[in-house]
Formats: sequence, C-alpha cells, structure tokens
Amino acid sequence: MNELIALALTVILVMLAAAYARRFGIGKEISLSGTRSIVQILILASIILVLFKLPLYWSLIVLLTMVAIAGHTTYTRSGKLDKVFPAAIFSIASASLLMLVPFFLFGIFPLEPQYLIPTGSILIGNTMNVSSLAIDRYRGEIKNRRNEVEAYLALGAGPKVAASACLKQGILSALIPSIDNMKNLGLVWIPGVMTGMLLAGASPFTAASIQIAIFTSIFAADLMASNLLLHYSTSSFFTGAAQLREDLE
Amino acid sequence: MNPVHLELKNVSRAVFRRVNKTRVKTQILSSLDLIVQRGELVTIMGPSGSGKTTLLRLINRLAEADSGSIMLNGKDIKEYDPFELRRKVGMVFQIPVVFRGSVNENLAVGMKLWGYENDIYALARDCVIPLELLNADAEQLSVGEKQRVCIARALANQPEVLLLDEPTSALDAASAEKIETLLLNLRKEKGLTMVWITHDREQAKRTGGKRYFLRNGRLEEDHE
Repeated sequence: MNELIALALTVILVMLAAAYARRFGIGKEISLSGTRSIVQILILASIILVLFKLPLYWSLIVLLTMVAIAGHTTYTRSGKLDKVFPAAIFSIASASLLMLVPFFLFGIFPLEPQYLIPTGSILIGNTMNVSSLAIDRYRGEIKNRRNEVEAYLALGAGPKVAASACLKQGILSALIPSIDNMKNLGLVWIPGVMTGMLLAGASPFTAASIQIAIFTSIFAADLMASNLLLHYSTSSFFTGAAQLREDLE
Repeated sequence: MNPVHLELKNVSRAVFRRVNKTRVKTQILSSLDLIVQRGELVTIMGPSGSGKTTLLRLINRLAEADSGSIMLNGKDIKEYDPFELRRKVGMVFQIPVVFRGSVNENLAVGMKLWGYENDIYALARDCVIPLELLNADAEQLSVGEKQRVCIARALANQPEVLLLDEPTSALDAASAEKIETLLLNLRKEKGLTMVWITHDREQAKRTGGKRYFLRNGRLEEDHE
C-alpha cells in the first residue's frame, strides 16, 4: 500500500513540476524525463529482482550496459561531437569501475549482485552527470572564448594548450555541485546511502562510514572521469590542421 | 626586386552566415590572387564583411580555402606543419586578446612553445611597452597597451610575415597613431613582410606600401 502511495505522489509531483516549468519552456522536457524515470526505475526494480538470483557476470553485463547508456547521454550533451562517444564510455567506465573495485577488494561489501549493481550504478550515474556538465561547459567555454583559443593557435600553440583554460573551467564548473555537496555533507542533507541504511535499521556510525567511503569514491570518480573525458575530447573541437571548428553550436 | 615571399593563386572561400535561423552560403573570396615580395608591406582595404579577415585567416591557416593555393617561400602552406606555419606567419587581431597572467607571461608564450631565448626587455622596448608594466596583470591594461602586448607576443615567435587585422581600429586616435608608428618602425628594423588590413585609406597611404581594395571577392590595386 505504501509503495502505491509513494508512486502516486511521484506522478503528481512530476505533473506539477512540468506544468510550472512550462513557463521556462522546459515543461515537455521535464514531463518526459519524469515519466521516463518512473518507468525506468520500475523496470529496473523488476530486473534487479531477477538479477539478484543470477550468476555474477550478469551484474557486470548490466553495469556495462549502464556505462554505454551513460556514455551516450554525455555524448548527446556534447552536441554529438566526433570521438566523444568512445571517450565518454572510456572515461565513465574506467573512473567508476576503478572506484568500485576497492569496495569489494577490501571486503566492505560482499561480491554479490545486490551490492555490486547499486554501488556501481551510483558511481556510473554520478560520473555521467559530472561528465555531461563538464563537456557541456567545455564546449560553451571554447565557443565563447573563440578569440582567445584562436589567439593561441595563431602563435603556433596546439589545441591542448589553446583550450587549456576552457578545460580547467569545464572541470571546475562540473565539480562545483560535488564540492558543495561534500562541504555540506551531514549539515544540509543526509545523503541517499546513509538515509537508506538508516531506514533499513543500520547503526548511524555504520551508515556514516559506508556513506563517506561512497561519497569520496564518487568524488574521485567524478574528477577522474571529467578529466579523462575533456582530455580525450579536445581534438573533437579542432580539425586535423589544428583549426577551431567553425560548426560548433 | 626581392623574391616572392607570399603568393595566393585562385583562392576562393565561401562562408555560412545565419540569416533568420537558416544558414546562407556566401562566396566572399573568389579566385583571388596576390603576390607579396619579401620585406614588402601591402595594405588591403574593403568594407565590413568583404572577407578581409577571412583572407588573413587563410594565410595563417586558421581557416581553410575552398580552392586555390597559398604559397609561402614557394611552398604550399598545406605542406607546412600548421604550428610551424603559424610561427612563421604571425597574426595580430583587430580586438587584442591577452592571456590570463602578467605581461611578462604573455610575452613568454612563444618562448615556452618554441623554446626560443628571447630578451623580454628588448621585446618590450621594441614594442614601446614600459618596463614597469611587465609584471602588471595583462587583463587590466588599456586596449592600446594590450595591442602592443599582442604585437610583441607575435614578434616573440620571430615570424617572417606579420598579418595585421585592423590593428588600430579598436583604439583611440592617439593610441592608433602610436601603434601605426610602432608597426612601421618594426617593419623597417626587422625587414618583416606585412599584410595590413585597414578600412582607413589615409592610413593605407601613410604606410607607403602597395594598396589593394577587396571587392567582389577579388583584390584590385588602389592607384588613387
């Protein structure tokens, strides 16, 4: 009964948010995203029910599928620039999987689907968000600072040097929410994992320890993924003769 | 007569402009020819949007010509490494863009890129940058001072050719005169080949170089 009330409340909130957001011209996007998220999470719950009973490699397949979808989302955010799709998949996969390993290597969680999938998805989802923000800002910076980038190129600098200030700004802007979250952890909000564990009856100290481990891993993965992504996608903004592409939208 | 330094043959270039949310193709350079001898200064005049800046961008290879060829020292610029080409062919933009950091750091960009040993003080003196400004924040300078920094920064690369895209048009009359004198002196002292874009016919006459008018995508010599 409680589940149905929660779902009904979610639907009402999405509808209200979409109606309000219409005045900013993003009503359709909000209603679509909201509906998608409800449907997707319900499908995921059904899949997880099955997955928890399947062998471990199925969990890895699920995580890799998540990485592919996350990579595509980030790629779309880049304005579908060449090379960004493989770069996004590589950066999200390497950063989030690298940060996932210690949880199981050091026995924080048992290597079982019910731990692997949620922890992996938290890392993948967060790196996707930060990567999308980073590439979006990077593209915007390059576009807005075209004169500066071209002034560097005109001196014979390569794309990496010419776009370095834009890259720094892209990473910084993408990480601001994570940095602010870290600063205010426990002061302004109780994060998801800790909330879930507390609701499930874990001791506050255990919940806090696990949460801080996950939180720092997320931050490290965000930092790594955004760096890798912007580093490997720089050449997408330039032609083979180191000219800033004219068709950047 | 000095040897040919820079030669443009049959160069054409179209650009896309956004008009009412649609991209419209505009042919701005059309079978353009130009020959510049080593050490020569040529000025190019023309109305806004006639393609003067695009022409310089093609020579520096910040943009690509649709057809035709551009030769530097008798060699197609596409055969040069683009970075080396841009070192040899310096460019000064209409709106001076200084990089974050001090004047000193701006002037050292070329040294970092190319490993040259430049005397920053000599460079600053050549470009009439007061030495006390060397440690100043480049972004806080006046537009005229910024333009001098940009000229010095381009010269730090020890270029053979200097492309000047209306280098004085963003400046007040007094600063413009100073920059003009500076550039003419630099040309004399260093024997630089210069392609100078200007919309000011009087300025073009003062430079004493060959004058061209860019009209309908082609260059016509101005004999007036």
